[in-house]
Amino acid sequence: MKEATLRQILVVTDGCSNTGMSPVAAAALAREQGITVNVIGVIDKSEMGEKGEREIREIAEAGGGLCDIVYPQQLAQTVQMLTRKAMTRTIHQVVNKELKEILGDSGIEELAPDKRVQVAGMVDELGEKSSLNVVMLVDTSGSMKPKLSAVQQAIHDFSISLHSRSGKSRMAVGSFPGKHKYLDIRIPWTDKVEQAHQLTSDLTMSGITPTGPAIVEAIALFEQDKLPSSLQERYRDEAENDDMNGSLRDHVF
Amino acid sequence: MSSKAVTPDLPKHFQGKWNRRSYHVLRELGRGANGTVYLVSQDGVRRAVKVGAEGMDILMEVNVLKSIQQGRDSKVGPLLCDVDDLVVNGKPCTFYAMEYLEGEQLDRYIQKEGEEWVPVMIVQLLARLDVLHRHGYIFGDLKPENIMVSRTDKTVRLIDFGGVTKLGNAVRQFTEEYDRAFWHAGDRRAEIGYDLFSAAVMMVRLTVGKERWKSSQSGPRHTGLLCDIIRKSDSLYPYRVPLLKAFHGKFATAQEMRAELLAVLRERTVEKPQKKASAAAGKAGGGISGLFVASLLLLAGTLYYAWFM
Ligand SMILES: Nc1ncnc2c1ncn2[C@@H]1O[C@H](COP(=O)(O)OP(=O)(O)OP(=O)(O)O)[C@@H](O)[C@H]1O
Ligand SMILES: [Mg+2]
Repeated sequence: MKEATLRQILVVTDGCSNTGMSPVAAAALAREQGITVNVIGVIDKSEMGEKGEREIREIAEAGGGLCDIVYPQQLAQTVQMLTRKAMTRTIHQVVNKELKEILGDSGIEELAPDKRVQVAGMVDELGEKSSLNVVMLVDTSGSMKPKLSAVQQAIHDFSISLHSRSGKSRMAVGSFPGKHKYLDIRIPWTDKVEQAHQLTSDLTMSGITPTGPAIVEAIALFEQDKLPSSLQERYRDEAENDDMNGSLRDHVF
Repeated sequence: MSSKAVTPDLPKHFQGKWNRRSYHVLRELGRGANGTVYLVSQDGVRRAVKVGAEGMDILMEVNVLKSIQQGRDSKVGPLLCDVDDLVVNGKPCTFYAMEYLEGEQLDRYIQKEGEEWVPVMIVQLLARLDVLHRHGYIFGDLKPENIMVSRTDKTVRLIDFGGVTKLGNAVRQFTEEYDRAFWHAGDRRAEIGYDLFSAAVMMVRLTVGKERWKSSQSGPRHTGLLCDIIRKSDSLYPYRVPLLKAFHGKFATAQEMRAELLAVLRERTVEKPQKKASAAAGKAGGGISGLFVASLLLLAGTLYYAWFM
């Protein structure tokens, strides 16, 4: 039996992008490839600003994910919650699609509530058991500096959450802007982030916030992630057909 | 799409699509991460209705509420009354109706009635948790805001089943202050010890009050901080052994922790009266006698419990 693999990008930022491709378009591109994009806005005392808020909402919408705006202290629990909810949502959508194919037009909404309660239980179990790969993208532009220790906490904390799942989970962490590129990979794919990991060391603080390009580069991480590089070329086509739909179908029914 | 505040406002009156029960909305009771809870009237009976935009999350809560409904176990949380859909702005939304629990959130209750009530309430809470655990779930998001003290009989009930998790799975929802992993005391796998850890932290937090608690929260967290608070608090110190055991996951069941807390509580109620009476005559008098009665009831409850097993 094949297991479903869920793929997510989680953007942690505190304001608007100002360089390169639109992050909303980048998120749409990610979604197109079966990757959900979630966004967390971190604010201090000051507000996010209407423009920043709108951008966050739009990225999440285009990326098929969820967003939230929180204080640094709430970051850790928000990361976990958003990830889980987005996961439930993706599985729900897939299950719904399957049901529509079986039942004709009607999806889950057309089932009586007591039947749907059972579906909910199943969706939850699937969420727990499926593999999950998450790339966390951290905005390290100048204004984020005072929040980075909280972000660092949250990264380690998220690793604990992932570890507590029954399904296989991996995460990677990137920061943008990078030294020479838009995105620097700070932590390559791993299933455990040590607490000692320092995000703040060796950071380039700068005024640019290339959220869009960072998302695009993160998408590439998932392609790499699929197969060992030696096999990537040969199996590319097959790998792409093996989307989550197909594998979930096997898993659910 | 935001994870919060996505619940659309309810119309003043609505009817369920499947079971066709009619509801009149009286007022909003609270809004949170998973939905909004309203006080409603259904055929003249008051109920609480929870509506959320993410139907699956609401239905998961229903799942749990359903499985703890039977018999005398129902005291854990509110009774489930109805599960149905309604249409808000042309969009279908899932809701459930439950028993309306009239009372106060545990933290407000303690603030008003005094910290002497803390051990009494925690002991009660542990009995509730024990039932839930025996059904194969942990509560997960244990915090004063998710515990109600009923106005009439002063019993505690759990509300908000959004964090309830099957034993062995990853905890579905948590609040950092009460989360074992955040205190570097373990992971987030749903085990009985996860809830017991939260219960112990809650006991500390409720006893020392909000300000003291806040001031101790800066910097990295570890259970040593909690031990410091316990050492400095006359009210907590007698409970240090069970608290420490809970921090270190040494209890196998909620019942075990309950028994140890109860033993301390019993000892204190027996030795205390004279000392306390001279220290705090007057205003505190009523509260203490009320507390004394509550403790007696608890002791009676234990006997009853033992008898039953
Ligand atoms: N059965 C009930 N009887 C009376 N009041 C209730 C009941 N259920 C919920 N409430 C009130 O509504 C508030 C919100 O409910 P609940 O905690 O279930 O929402 P939530 O969206 O899960 O919030 P959270 O952010 O805590 O997860 C509660 O704090 C409580 O005051
Ligand atoms: Mg709540």
